[in-house]
Amino acid sequence: MRTFILRRLIYAIPTLIGVSIITFAIIRLSPGDPIRLYTFGARDITQEDIEALRHVYGLDKPLPLQYLDWIWRVLHGDFGQSFIYHQDAAQLFIQYIPNTIQLALVALAIQLVVGVPLGVVAALKRGTWVDNVVRVFGVAGHAIPSFWLGLVMIIVFAVQLRWLPSQGILTVGADQWDILDRIKHMLMPAVVLSLTGIAQYSRILRTETLDVLGQDFVRTAHAKGLRERTVIFVHALRNALIPVVTALGGILAGLIGGALVIEQVFSWPGIGRFTFAAAIAKDYPIIEAGTMISATLLIISYLLRDIAYAIVDPRIKAA
Amino acid sequence: MHHPRSRRVLIAAFAASMLVATACTSGTPNTSASPSAAASATETPQDGGRIISGSISDIATMQPILVNDTASGEVAGLLYAVLISADPKTGEPKPNLATFSASSDGLTYTFEIDPKANWSDGKPIIGQDYLTGVLAVGKSAKTVRKSSFTTIQGFQDWVDGKADTISGIKIDSSNPKKFTVTLTKVTCPALLQIANNSYTLPTQVFGKYVTKASKPEDIDNAPENVNPQVVSGPFTFSEWRKGDQVILKKNPNYFKGAPHVDEYVFKVVANTAAITAGLKTGEITYSTIAARDLADMQTVDTVKIQKYSSLGYTFIGWDTQSNAAGAALSDKRVRQALAYGIDMDAVIKSVVFGEAIAHVAHHVPVQWAYPSDQSALNPYKFDKNKAQQLLTDAGWTKGSDGILQKDGKKFTMTISTNSGNTERETLAQVAADQYKQLGIDAKAAPEAFQGLVTKLTSGDKTLDATIIGWSLGTEPDPYQIWHSSQIPDPAKNVTGFGFTYFKSADMDKAIEEARTPSNGDCSTAARKKQYDTFNKILNDEQPYNFGYVPNVLATAQKSLQGWNPQPFSTLYNVEQWWIKK
Repeated sequence: MRTFILRRLIYAIPTLIGVSIITFAIIRLSPGDPIRLYTFGARDITQEDIEALRHVYGLDKPLPLQYLDWIWRVLHGDFGQSFIYHQDAAQLFIQYIPNTIQLALVALAIQLVVGVPLGVVAALKRGTWVDNVVRVFGVAGHAIPSFWLGLVMIIVFAVQLRWLPSQGILTVGADQWDILDRIKHMLMPAVVLSLTGIAQYSRILRTETLDVLGQDFVRTAHAKGLRERTVIFVHALRNALIPVVTALGGILAGLIGGALVIEQVFSWPGIGRFTFAAAIAKDYPIIEAGTMISATLLIISYLLRDIAYAIVDPRIKAA
Repeated sequence: MHHPRSRRVLIAAFAASMLVATACTSGTPNTSASPSAAASATETPQDGGRIISGSISDIATMQPILVNDTASGEVAGLLYAVLISADPKTGEPKPNLATFSASSDGLTYTFEIDPKANWSDGKPIIGQDYLTGVLAVGKSAKTVRKSSFTTIQGFQDWVDGKADTISGIKIDSSNPKKFTVTLTKVTCPALLQIANNSYTLPTQVFGKYVTKASKPEDIDNAPENVNPQVVSGPFTFSEWRKGDQVILKKNPNYFKGAPHVDEYVFKVVANTAAITAGLKTGEITYSTIAARDLADMQTVDTVKIQKYSSLGYTFIGWDTQSNAAGAALSDKRVRQALAYGIDMDAVIKSVVFGEAIAHVAHHVPVQWAYPSDQSALNPYKFDKNKAQQLLTDAGWTKGSDGILQKDGKKFTMTISTNSGNTERETLAQVAADQYKQLGIDAKAAPEAFQGLVTKLTSGDKTLDATIIGWSLGTEPDPYQIWHSSQIPDPAKNVTGFGFTYFKSADMDKAIEEARTPSNGDCSTAARKKQYDTFNKILNDEQPYNFGYVPNVLATAQKSLQGWNPQPFSTLYNVEQWWIKK
C-alpha cells in the first residue's frame, strides 16, 4: 500500500506542473489587461501611475520570466498579493474553502443517504411504480438546470412561504456558531447541489444491484436458505457499492464545480463565487492561487478515492 | 445552461464595481418628492435596530487611500468622515468635518476641523491627521489617487523622496485643528479632489507607516487597512466576514451625533435577483433595484421605492476614425443621422422599461454644469426622413440590396458592448435594428468587458461603435473623457478614455478654462459658461450618441425612516436613519 500511495504522489508532481503552466498561460493570454481594468474607474489616473502599478505587480516583465518568478515564489508558499484586495492571495482563497467544503460534504451526505437506498429499492421493486418514479427522478435530476431549480426554490420557500432564508450562510446578527441557523441556510443549496449526485447514485445502484442479484453467488446464497435481508445487505449490496466508490472521486470534483453555480444562486460565500469574481476582474494572483490549491485538493481527493478503492477491491493495487 | 446565467450576473456585478468611488457622505438635487422623509420628520426617532445594505460586490479594503470601487467606498465612507462633502442635491462643496475658505488668488485653502470632532479613541481630529492621509497617498505604490494631489505644493518632492514632508500643507501653530493647503496653480476641481474624500487618517495609527524612511508596503499592507480600530465616521468596525458581510457598530463619538441604529451591516449577495429577494423578505433593509424588477417590486407592500435621475449615462460611442464603415463615422452628418435615426424614447421603453430620459450632451440634469438653456441644444427628435436626408447629403445612397453605399463601399457597422449586461446587450440589438432600417448593415456584438476596456483605452482600432456607460463624479470636470490629450495613441504608449478619437480645439479650450482658468475664476457661474460651450460642441458633433440617463430605483423597507437618497449621496444623513418598530 505504501508504494502505491508513494507512486500516486509522484504522479501528482508532473500533473501540478502541467496545471500551473496551462493555468498561467490561459490566464495571462486571455484578452484584457488587469491594470487597465482596475484603473478604469479611476478617472484622474495618469499614464505614469498605470505604468508604476504594472511594475509593482511585475506585469512589465516578459511572460516566461513572469512564470518563472511566480513558480519560484509559489514553491516558497507565496502566491503574491491580490490586485483587488491588496492581501495575500492564497490566504484569501483559503478563507473561503471551509464554506465550500461544508456545502459539498452535506450535499455528498444527502446524495449517499438518498441516492443509494433509492437505487436499491428501485432494483428490488423492478418494473413497479416505485422503480418508474426513481427512474424518472434519475432523468430529471440530470436534466433540470440547478440554477433554475435554485431560483424556483428561493421564490417558493423563501419569498412566498418564508420558511427558509433566501441567501447567504448566516442570518445577519447570528453568531458564527449558530448551527441551526447555518443548517437553515444550507438546506436549499445543499439539496440542489446534491440532485445530480442522487440521480447518478440511484442509477448506478439500480443497475449494479440488478447485475449482482443475477449472479451465481447470490443464487447460491438464496439456495443455502439465507434470509432475504442477509442476501441483499451482506452479499449483494457490498459488491454493488464498488462502482459508487469509483464515482466518489469524480463526484467530489463535480460538487466543487457545481458549487460555483449554486454559490452564485444562493450567494454562498465559497471558493467558486470568489474565484469567479476574481476571474472577471482578472485578479491573476487569486485565480492562480485558487486553481493550484483546488488542483492539489482534487489530486488528494482522487488519491483518497483510490486508497478506498484499493481497500474495497484488492485487484486495484496491482494495476 | 448554467454558465451563461452566472456569467451575466457576475459581469453585471463587476461593471457596477467599476464605477468611480466617491467615498464621501454627500448628495445632490433630487427630482422626486420624498414622503418618507417628510413623514418621519414629525415622529420621534426610535433608537436601536440594524440597517442591512445589500450589495453585489464585497469590499476590497477599508483603507480610504486604496479604495477603488463603490463597495469599499461605501464602507470606508461610513468609517472615515470627509473634510468637505458635496451637497447631496447639487454636488457643490459644503463643510463637513471641516469648514473651508479660499484665498483671493485661489491658490490656498484654509480648513478648520470641527472643535467637537474626535477619533473613536477620544483623541481630537487635527490637521496633522489630514497630512498623514496625504503622506500615505504619496507613499503608497498601490493607490490610484496620486494624481488628485499632484497640484499640492511639495507633494511630488515627497513622492520622489526629496522632502521630509509636504511643504504645501501647513498646520496652524496655535490651533492644531486649523491648516492650509497651497496649490501650485489654480485648479478648480482641486477642492473636491483633495478634501471630498476620507483621507483624513488617525496619525496615532498610520503615522508610523508614513515616515520618510517608510516603504510603500508599510502603508499598502498595514493590518489596520482591513481592521480599522480608530475611526471618525458614524460607525466603527466590528467584523468582516469575507464574501458575506461587513459588520459596523454605531460610533457614540461621531461628531454629528451617534447614529440611531446600533448596527450597519454591509451584506454581500451574488446578484440582483438575490437583492430583489432579500428586499422582499426583509433580509435587506435597502438597496437599489434594476428597472426590470420595478413592476414586481411595486406589488410588495413592505417596501418603498424612491426614484431619482442618476449621475451618469449610457451611450453609444462612435469611432470617428473608423475605417470599417468606409470612414462613414468621421462625417458629422452621418453621426447626426444616427442620432435622428434612432427612436430613443422607444429604446428607453424597451431597454429600461421607461426608467430613463434621453440625453444629448455630456453633463447630466442633476449636475450644476448641466446646460440650463436646453433650447441651445439639438434634442435630435426621432426623424427618419431627416436621417435619410443627412446620409444622402453625406454621399450615401442605397444600393440594389438596400444597403447604403458610397464609392463602392458598403456602410457596415458593428456595435460592441460588454456581454452579460442585459440592458446594454438589448440596447445594442435595438440600435442595430433601427439602423438597419436606415440602410446600414449594423450588427450587435457583445464582448467580454475585460477585453473591451483594454481595446477602448489602448487605441486598438477595431471597434466601430461601443455601448458602455459613464458614472460621473461629484466634480463635473470632463477632462479625462473629452480633452484631446486623452485620446489613446499606441505609438506613443498613451492610453485614455478618448476612444472616439474626436477632438476640437474649441472644446479643449472650454475644458481647460473650466479646469485651470486663465483669470483664476473658479466660480460656478464662470465654469458653467465654459461647460455650455463644451456641451454645445458635443451636441452638434455627436461623437457619442449620448443615449440616456437612467433612473436610480432606490428601494427600502417601509420601517426605515429618515432614508432619503439623493443623486450625489445616499448616506449623507445615515446617523439620522432609524428603524420604526
